[in-house]
Amino acid sequence: MPQQVTRLGIAFVALAVVFVAVRQKLVPDTFGEAGHYRAAAVDSIAAQPLQYAGHEACTMCHRPIAEKRSVSNHSGVSCEVCHGPAAEHVAAPGSVKPPAPRERGFCPLCHGYNASRPSGFPQIDPVAHNPMVPCMTCHDPHAPEPPVIPGACRACHGQIASQKAVSHHATLPCLTCHDAPDEHKASPRTLRPDKPSSRDFCGTCHAEDAISPSHIPRVDVSTHGEGYLCWQCHYPHHPEAE
Amino acid sequence: MQGYIYPNEFELRWSLLIVLYPYLTGLVAGAFILASLARVFNVKEVEPTYRLALLTALAFLIVAPLPLLAHLGHPERSYEIFLTPNRQSAMAMFGFVYAWYLMVVLLLEIWFDYRRDFVLRAREATGPRKWFYYALTLGSTDLSDRALRFDDKAGRWITIIGIPSAFLLHGYVGFIFGSIKANPWWSSVLMPVVFLFSAIVSGIALVLIIYLVATLFRGKKVDMGCADKLATFLFFAMLVDFSLEMLDFIHRLYESEESIEILSQLIEGRLFVSLIVLQVVLGTLVPLIALGVVSPALSWRGTRKVPAEVRRLIYIGCALLVQVGIFSIRWNVVIGGQLFSKSLRGLTVYKAELLGVEGLLMAGALVILPFIILGLLVKIMPPWPEDELPAPPEV
Repeated sequence: MPQQVTRLGIAFVALAVVFVAVRQKLVPDTFGEAGHYRAAAVDSIAAQPLQYAGHEACTMCHRPIAEKRSVSNHSGVSCEVCHGPAAEHVAAPGSVKPPAPRERGFCPLCHGYNASRPSGFPQIDPVAHNPMVPCMTCHDPHAPEPPVIPGACRACHGQIASQKAVSHHATLPCLTCHDAPDEHKASPRTLRPDKPSSRDFCGTCHAEDAISPSHIPRVDVSTHGEGYLCWQCHYPHHPEAE
Repeated sequence: MQGYIYPNEFELRWSLLIVLYPYLTGLVAGAFILASLARVFNVKEVEPTYRLALLTALAFLIVAPLPLLAHLGHPERSYEIFLTPNRQSAMAMFGFVYAWYLMVVLLLEIWFDYRRDFVLRAREATGPRKWFYYALTLGSTDLSDRALRFDDKAGRWITIIGIPSAFLLHGYVGFIFGSIKANPWWSSVLMPVVFLFSAIVSGIALVLIIYLVATLFRGKKVDMGCADKLATFLFFAMLVDFSLEMLDFIHRLYESEESIEILSQLIEGRLFVSLIVLQVVLGTLVPLIALGVVSPALSWRGTRKVPAEVRRLIYIGCALLVQVGIFSIRWNVVIGGQLFSKSLRGLTVYKAELLGVEGLLMAGALVILPFIILGLLVKIMPPWPEDELPAPPEV
């Protein structure tokens, strides 16, 4: 056998032995028992000390605040989301106090404007919105209804407003297409605005016989996209809807 | 942002480093395929670049996984994909494809090719250098005719195994993208083939640049027969690559699936500069025309009209443009595929950061690093024909 083959063979066998030995040493015993992970990890995670107490533990002592929050727009936000893990506080209420964030940077973690947040979710520009004033001055975090009811739709629907502003529908007020009760501004989730429910609505401007400026695109509403409402194919807030 | 996108599509998950990764692996595969031209297909003209191509492939292969490690974070855990292999995941099996290519193909071929040099240098040198080269021989110091013939034969066989392995290495990268059926920009069975041919193009162009520039700096005479042959192969590889891309494009256009509108918007808007200007015009059409005119690809007469000095410059210019074009291909695939929403109704934007682990500086450093490694390899294992050591004295 050529010398090269024997030498390479030794090198490869040595590498293989090292690999097998290292694998033997490093792969945990319970790896692969229940899937592609260390099965004992479940027990070791379960054995870790609890950090969170759960909102029910908070309610036991802070009932008035909990009740106030439970009917507010923050009803779905658990106490420990803002106040941090509270297991230690529950165990020793007198000596361990949970933090109460008051700096301006905290609330925009959820309420700072971000295009990927759902439309209708209250969002502000943290730089322009009442600069320097702590959020709690105007908003009670346990009942965070706005002190002044937003006047314009874009206060909450910033993304849609920005899109519409550059679309062919820029000059149309929101209320042309949406019937929004005044209560929607105060209770946005209980009373929602509607959307056009018939093709004839868009036809008011876009039908072939519509009385509207001539540059507006026309279609035969009775045959075009039969079976669908217009906005199911054309996104009316955006220029692509042309 | 434009139109409607889902909340989790606002930021891109795969950034500049993931663009770099297929670019680097493509250079590895391409450089190796070029080396195989000399070794397996006996193209005598490109022999001066055979060893250089091998070392280039090695230098870039060493750096190829680094963008992934930087992107994923926790590089200290990377060995675990070898210890607990997940055979269901194409990505997780990359470690084995990489290890096979590095250990069984590239290192072995370089070892068989350089073993004679290692032995002779170990004999000539003194002190630590002697032991260094001796260690590289792995103790195999037999330089008899029989042993050298075996080296040659083994190297040839490894190259033959290496060709499908290089196809596997880069075809696999295309496979990763091509198999993501939820993304219409990626999901195409042609993807591995397109990746492969673009890899061959980029590898040939890279070796051509390194060969011409290094020869210039070393003050040696460029073997124009070799440069012309490389340019010819580059021309034909680009022709096949461009045809495949056009085939993919026409196929998508004819198929005209529901995604075609948003993809048209993507090409006309977000990707106009990187796809139309950089990839197609500057990265493909301009070098194709220039190489078609001056290289001997279409007619030997072409070369006679253009002096060798000018031809060299045109070759370097074309090869650089090809690199820009191939990098744009990787950019358009990786970034382009994440710029449109799965809703097919909106587009997002990507802006590379300057600093940080995924920034421009990091990417720049990872592009420069293989050249530093290559410089080191060239110093240890000179690939130039004139550095060939004389035949060993009879022992």
